[in-house]
Amino acid sequence: MKRLLTVFWNELGRIVTLLPPFAVMVLAPFAYALLYPQPYLNEALRDVPIAVVDQDNTQSSRELARRVDATTDVGVALVLPDLPSAQRAVYERRIYGILYIPQYFERDLQHGRASPVALYADASYFLMYQRISGGVTAVARAFGAETETARLIAADVDPAIAPAVADPMPLTAEPLFNPQGGYATYVLPAALILILQQTLLIGVGLLATLPGARVPRDPASGDRLMNALQTVSGKMLAYLVVEAVILPFYLVALPYFYDLPRLGSVTTILVLAIPFVLAASALGILLAAVFRRPLSVQLATASLGLPLFFLAGFAWPPEVMPEAIRVLAAFVPSTPAINGLVGVAQLGAPLADVRGPFLMLWGLAVLYGVLAVALEATRRETTAPTLPRAL
Amino acid sequence: MRAGNSFRPGFWLVFCRELIRLGRRPSLLALVTLLPLLLMGVLISVFSAGLATRLPIAVLDLDSSNLSRQIIRTVDATPDAAVTVRVGELAEGRQMILSGRVHGLLLLPRNLERDVQAGRRPEVVFFYNAQTLTPGNLVLRGINAAVPAVAAGIRVSMRTAHGQPTDAATAALGPIPVQINPLFNPALNYIYFLLTALLPSVLQVIIVTASSYTVGRDVETRHRLKVLRRLGGGLWPAMFGKLLPYTVLFLLVLALADAVLFGVYDLPLRGDRALLISAGVLFILACQLFGSLLALVMPMANAVSIGTLLTAPAFGFMGIGFPRLGMSAFALGFGAALPGTWYLVARVDQTVRGTPADLSLKPILILLAFVIGLALLAALRLEWMRTHSANQPRLRKPTLAEGTT
Repeated sequence: MKRLLTVFWNELGRIVTLLPPFAVMVLAPFAYALLYPQPYLNEALRDVPIAVVDQDNTQSSRELARRVDATTDVGVALVLPDLPSAQRAVYERRIYGILYIPQYFERDLQHGRASPVALYADASYFLMYQRISGGVTAVARAFGAETETARLIAADVDPAIAPAVADPMPLTAEPLFNPQGGYATYVLPAALILILQQTLLIGVGLLATLPGARVPRDPASGDRLMNALQTVSGKMLAYLVVEAVILPFYLVALPYFYDLPRLGSVTTILVLAIPFVLAASALGILLAAVFRRPLSVQLATASLGLPLFFLAGFAWPPEVMPEAIRVLAAFVPSTPAINGLVGVAQLGAPLADVRGPFLMLWGLAVLYGVLAVALEATRRETTAPTLPRAL
Repeated sequence: MRAGNSFRPGFWLVFCRELIRLGRRPSLLALVTLLPLLLMGVLISVFSAGLATRLPIAVLDLDSSNLSRQIIRTVDATPDAAVTVRVGELAEGRQMILSGRVHGLLLLPRNLERDVQAGRRPEVVFFYNAQTLTPGNLVLRGINAAVPAVAAGIRVSMRTAHGQPTDAATAALGPIPVQINPLFNPALNYIYFLLTALLPSVLQVIIVTASSYTVGRDVETRHRLKVLRRLGGGLWPAMFGKLLPYTVLFLLVLALADAVLFGVYDLPLRGDRALLISAGVLFILACQLFGSLLALVMPMANAVSIGTLLTAPAFGFMGIGFPRLGMSAFALGFGAALPGTWYLVARVDQTVRGTPADLSLKPILILLAFVIGLALLAALRLEWMRTHSANQPRLRKPTLAEGTT
């Protein structure tokens, strides 16, 4: 137990005094907290510019265009005479969609025939496509329903029944947890967990490869395994203490600052976060053993963030990933951590509903912890620090 | 290297020397080739399906009528959603969503069929998980297609019941149908939209940090910069002799990943091949020069850290997932300062869009400006470092400035 505390204080001291680990574990989280959310702060795209090509040029066609322009989704930026000029404007990225209203639009509408319009929406950017198609179809449906009700009443259908004939079984879609469909609300909760994992992996990796990582073994106590267990536990305790400051800032304070909805209880979030911190830091110790030098750790882990984010099955549903990829993903702490923590914080799930990820995180913490202890126990006891060599 | 006297100094001498040194350092070689290929391989496998279909949803059927069963069958027949669970009460469905087993819950109310027939307009409600944006929107699309389709059938029969002929009733269903044409990516395939942009983003991080590292190693011992310059027979041949071996390797890595996208996943190449490759070369050079410049103005370890800090969160700023149109001025500026932003514009132009050549030049010219600007800055900084070290009396040896011919 005494050794555990010695290692703990030593490691905590190193985190505070060694600049590289301090920069990665403490300063970088603050820098990312400011930088990372910047692109998404407006939450939604508004008034995506489109062009209207109005071949009908009647009161009805102009009314349709006016209503489309009035939505928050879409804005009519250009009125163009024909499709080729509109197409060119799409290539120039001046507009992202074309609403084409054909000749005789009004006449067909008044004669009770279907009067179609065509919409071309830029699908090289999915969010633009969704905004434009959603906005324009909603306007066309509402405009059409009004016309249909008016027609039915004109055809002597009882005005009380007319709406039922026009729409006998209305569908209401209820978006849960992110009612506005906001992009920051969607991406930040998961991304923040991933940033925590990255800073932990790199920070622990640096600590394990920089000089001073090894507390000399007490010659009196001979048990290698016991020594290794105490060493690893002492270090992990130090990382837990550091994360006890950083993690609540990330998962409780930041969502508050960025106005993200949070339904879950803080206690459940923290209970779930403990095995996550343990699993990620134990994995950091193992990575350090593979890469051995501080710079190698930094270079090898710098680019992992993006692939691990998409591996987590948050932005892209795990149901459609190949089986091998799902198995691989299960061994990365961020996968169950994002599932569990987003479930608790954003969806308000009680611990019982995120049992799966919770147990998986403990499983990973034990697995990587045991490997780290085994590694420590088999390590040759060297007194002279190995000279830092280049990559 | 003892080749100094038998070879003429110049670009090729530095180039070959760098290649030989790289060959002796397998871990560095792995960092610039194996690691990006491995990460790209993982990303390609993650998105290999391209489309997310048959995503699970739950149904709470309180009516158990012909109509409710017809709705469930129609929903299940859409490509987007699959009815995998029947729940007995709302709380059970909610729990299924919370634990992530389904993406949505369709609620068919009691007496649905009877109320529809009586014209009481009963509501069908679909609760869906909007926290996970992509699957949430996909299952919603399935429901939005299926439920109105069933309703349309009812509307036709209600009209014919009021004495309208069937064809007129059908024509009156949607007075203003919108024919939606998704431009450039008609199937809304995620490979052509997201994956193709993720691969260069991963590469950007690796190019910048690896360049900081390789150049930083030469800067740390100032003597080495002088050796490099002498071997190159001048500033520019030395600089490009040092950088180009990596340019070639990174280009091969990018080409291999793209070969998989074009060859296996049929990513369209509707634009100009030459423009796409030029943009790729300029992108790689710009990232290399950016990483090198960092290593010239600060200690190498800091350069690697700053390079990581700036490029690791870069994907969001490059405007693929959330378009740049909706960003704040700061985010727009940050994005504009990343070579990747302009490379992705050029890449989208030349692959899925097939933008006419005369409208394709802007992002490529911006990348060219990046390369020229960063190269000039790096050269100025190297000159400054040389004069300042030469002014120190201990190092002032006139022979150092001369070539070895």
